Amino acid sequence: MESSEELRETIVVMQRQIDRLRTEAAHAEKLTGALEALLYRDEVDPFSGVFKALESIFGFSHAIVLVEQDTEGDDLECVASQPADLVNSKWRAGRFFQKVLNGRAAVTFTNENVEEWSSAKLERISSSQPALYLPMRVRDRRGLMMLLRPEGDAGFDRDHVVLARKFALLASHAFAARDANQSVAESQRLLTLTDRLQESQKALAHRANHDQLTELPNRTCMQELVEAAIQNQRDGGMIALAFIDLDNFKQVNDLYSHAVGDALLKSVADRLRANIRKCDHVGRISGDEFLILFDIFDDVEDLHAIARRIEEQMKRSFNVEGIEVISSASMGIALYPEHGTDYDALRRNADIAMYRAKTAAKGSTAYFDDVMGTVAAARLELEQQLRLAVRDRQFRCVFQPKIDIRAMRITGFEALARWIDRDGTVRNPSEFIDIAGELGLLNDIAAIVLEDAIQSFPSLDKVFGSETRVSINVSARQASSPTFMSGFAARIAASNRSSRIILEVTEDAIVAAGPFQSLVLPQLRQMGTKVSIDDFGTGYSSLSALADITADEIKVDRSFIMSIQDRPRSQSILKTIESLGNTLGMSIVAEGVETEDELNYLLSQTSIQTVQGYLFSKPLFVDEIYKLKDIFSDICWKVA
Amino acid sequence: MVRLNSVMVSANTTEMAIAELANKLGDTDVTPNFVYAFYGCAHDDNQVLAFLKQRFPGAALLGGTSCSGVMTQAGLGGAESVGLLMIEDAEGSYGSSIVELGDDPAAAAETALLAALEAADCPNELPELVWVYQAPGQEEAVIAGLRRIVGDRCPVIGGSSADDTVAGNWRQLGPDRIMTNGLVVGVLFSSGGIGFAFQGGYEPSGQSGIVTRIGFDTDGKSGIVTESRGRHILAIDNQPAAQTYNNWIGGGLTERLAEGGNILADTTMFPLGIDSGNINEVSHYLLVHPDAITPEGGLSTFAEVEEGTRIYSMRGEKRRLVDRAGRVASMAAASLPDGIDSLAGGVVVYCGGCMLAVGDGMSEVSKTVAESFSDTPFLGCFTFGEQGLILGKNVHGNLMISAIAFGQ
Repeated sequence: MESSEELRETIVVMQRQIDRLRTEAAHAEKLTGALEALLYRDEVDPFSGVFKALESIFGFSHAIVLVEQDTEGDDLECVASQPADLVNSKWRAGRFFQKVLNGRAAVTFTNENVEEWSSAKLERISSSQPALYLPMRVRDRRGLMMLLRPEGDAGFDRDHVVLARKFALLASHAFAARDANQSVAESQRLLTLTDRLQESQKALAHRANHDQLTELPNRTCMQELVEAAIQNQRDGGMIALAFIDLDNFKQVNDLYSHAVGDALLKSVADRLRANIRKCDHVGRISGDEFLILFDIFDDVEDLHAIARRIEEQMKRSFNVEGIEVISSASMGIALYPEHGTDYDALRRNADIAMYRAKTAAKGSTAYFDDVMGTVAAARLELEQQLRLAVRDRQFRCVFQPKIDIRAMRITGFEALARWIDRDGTVRNPSEFIDIAGELGLLNDIAAIVLEDAIQSFPSLDKVFGSETRVSINVSARQASSPTFMSGFAARIAASNRSSRIILEVTEDAIVAAGPFQSLVLPQLRQMGTKVSIDDFGTGYSSLSALADITADEIKVDRSFIMSIQDRPRSQSILKTIESLGNTLGMSIVAEGVETEDELNYLLSQTSIQTVQGYLFSKPLFVDEIYKLKDIFSDICWKVA
Repeated sequence: MVRLNSVMVSANTTEMAIAELANKLGDTDVTPNFVYAFYGCAHDDNQVLAFLKQRFPGAALLGGTSCSGVMTQAGLGGAESVGLLMIEDAEGSYGSSIVELGDDPAAAAETALLAALEAADCPNELPELVWVYQAPGQEEAVIAGLRRIVGDRCPVIGGSSADDTVAGNWRQLGPDRIMTNGLVVGVLFSSGGIGFAFQGGYEPSGQSGIVTRIGFDTDGKSGIVTESRGRHILAIDNQPAAQTYNNWIGGGLTERLAEGGNILADTTMFPLGIDSGNINEVSHYLLVHPDAITPEGGLSTFAEVEEGTRIYSMRGEKRRLVDRAGRVASMAAASLPDGIDSLAGGVVVYCGGCMLAVGDGMSEVSKTVAESFSDTPFLGCFTFGEQGLILGKNVHGNLMISAIAFGQ
């Protein structure tokens, strides 16, 4: 698939085809029923069967059949209606009815100006009811059928006209055949026609309900099978729905070809079909996703046994077009009625269980349980809240000071994101960053946080002067996106404080040769914005990699600072980082300073100038920042 | 039985173009009930209309100016071209009408639709398709007016008339008049059935934001704002719209932010998108083309946006815009009630902005459409706004492609 645009188009085309096939199949069935009512029933009023069959297609409240009267003139007489009280009513055939009598199927959006309606004396129906008209030759007389919907309901559309046209043609032939003079040959011809209709109806139904690649029931068909199974469920019997997802199917497509991928899907379908019972159903609902309906079992152990068999069978290699493909499938199972009482709930919960199985061990099986349901519901709730939070810009900055411990003064702040939800609860990034990343919301959040940080400068300046700098974090992924970073940098530039902002980026983003180094860094340099390597020492880069980095600051991760006065290995590492930083002209910041002992070690045993940590202050909202002056004086006094 | 024929000529005077048309039409045996006529804006519309009335008495006529001419199965005609598509359908009904858009475009649209139905001798009947061709600027109101009568129960398809340089030199051709601020409506009751498709060739690029403020143009001396929608986006996520949009597209308009002005050509590949619904959880987008940066730091657009709507930054590629036209034509043909084998020909509405962006690749566009329509007759016009049915709703969009396929 070249692009998501192409995917969209494919889905539209497929959906259109499926909808059309299903509609045609359903219509063929109803029209056949209506024709049979006309052809075979010995009823005096053949229309009652016709109306019944057509009602489910067209959805009407009134059906009226008018035919030309035997007498001279333009009048039409109602020969059948539903409800029956319009029978024998007289209608004038004006210009519009003449068109219908001559073969036109039509929908009107109003009948108020239709002359036939103004001349008819009617009490139980109204000219403002939406109407569909179709021509209908009743034996040797011209006529028409009028279908009316209740006043205020949606009108008929063009698809109804197309269908009405088809039915009108067939119905007129059927009436001709019912005529007393109908020959045996003609009768036979109509029977053949009906048989053919039924055949095409079956073929259409098959195409509409089956996946063309594997010939398995498709998503819609599986839904109907599950709903039917639930409907027919007997006391004591159990039903289960399994959701199966092939592991690494994308890699098969990428490594070999889509043809091999398709062939693998066919083989998987065959293997699944071969390993279920006759009463079960397997269907393919999309790409590499299959459903199995285990339709009635008495003992849950029976289900476990079949599931184990399927799991084992799916681990066996597949021979596809001469290639041995090793694959597996993760399976999640939900039981009726414990885990859901309708198709949607069962499918969703089986999907959740499948996801759990895949996360635990690819190729395994998991049964849905309440814990999974709770976790999934909580996750869904959080996702919704997070989307709303981004929409409503519920993110703000807190600021943690960076201290020059040699001069004992605040030189800057690290801005950190907080989510203030609707009830005022302050949430830390650990509660939402991962999900925000999965939902693609990180860029929005980063933009909101940047904006809040920029807006906070005047308040910070008022307390600490206009020399302090503010550090802002961007993720490795954001740092590597020129599109995101150019927008981010443009906003920083527009703040007129670009030289007072430091971007904190993790070492894996900055070390990797890529867009950040080649495109983003030059832009930041030009603006005077400094770059800091955050959490240094936790990534995979070697110290020698520092030589290739053009950053301004190194922030030594808190794991090295914790109890440093008692840990000789951390002391050695810190000395090395410090030495390299000094050589390369990068300033060093020690993160996570939480005790006076740690601070005293840094003061006495290193030349590190800047630290950050809870010893001085936890991160504060900008309107609490004035408190820092008191906290800071207290610490200075203690250290001194 | 429906039969179609199309002819295209190119000449630097309208007299010569008409003479050439007459010459080409001499060979045709099609007696049309309905005639589409599109042409480059340098031509004299009155001469074109007079010729059509004389040559096709009794036929419903409609058309207007098209950006840089027209295209047919024979290729691109160029800015001086005139193209006709003739539909012969003795068992069908067709009508057209033209009205001034005036102060109340929605009411004008209702009037025009009823007049076209009257002309088709089908008053009160739901047509199979409503065709519209109009002056740019009031498309949403026009669709709202038409929807009051037909709802979304039949497709409303068409385009906004265009000139070559966005100088306002666009016109609309109706059955008896030419207008510069008008609306032409055609109603089609085809006996061979009609298929259609309406799509854009762009994908979301990742960024999005909520429209938090819309600008309003006063429509009189005083009044109360009752709807928060319009064609002037002032703020996205509470930030100046132009700045935010510029960030989204990578800063390509940075130098234009201060001075403002026309950005039409710069933004063709970077429209905005509105989520118009989804099928099987895949979103579909209606495109909105920003045409200028306003003095307030907002974005002027060619289609309306509502406050509170999430708008998406979209990306286009030349290659996709070329291929897309053929695909849309194929989809239209495939949706014919009696299948693609019944195809008699069609009409394509291709965005003028996309055409200018594709440039030399346009000859390939006409080729792909011709292939998709199996070399049956078709006529294509280039417009400054496109209308169509997307996920069951009649809408106006920009940078879109519409195609109509006629069954035999």
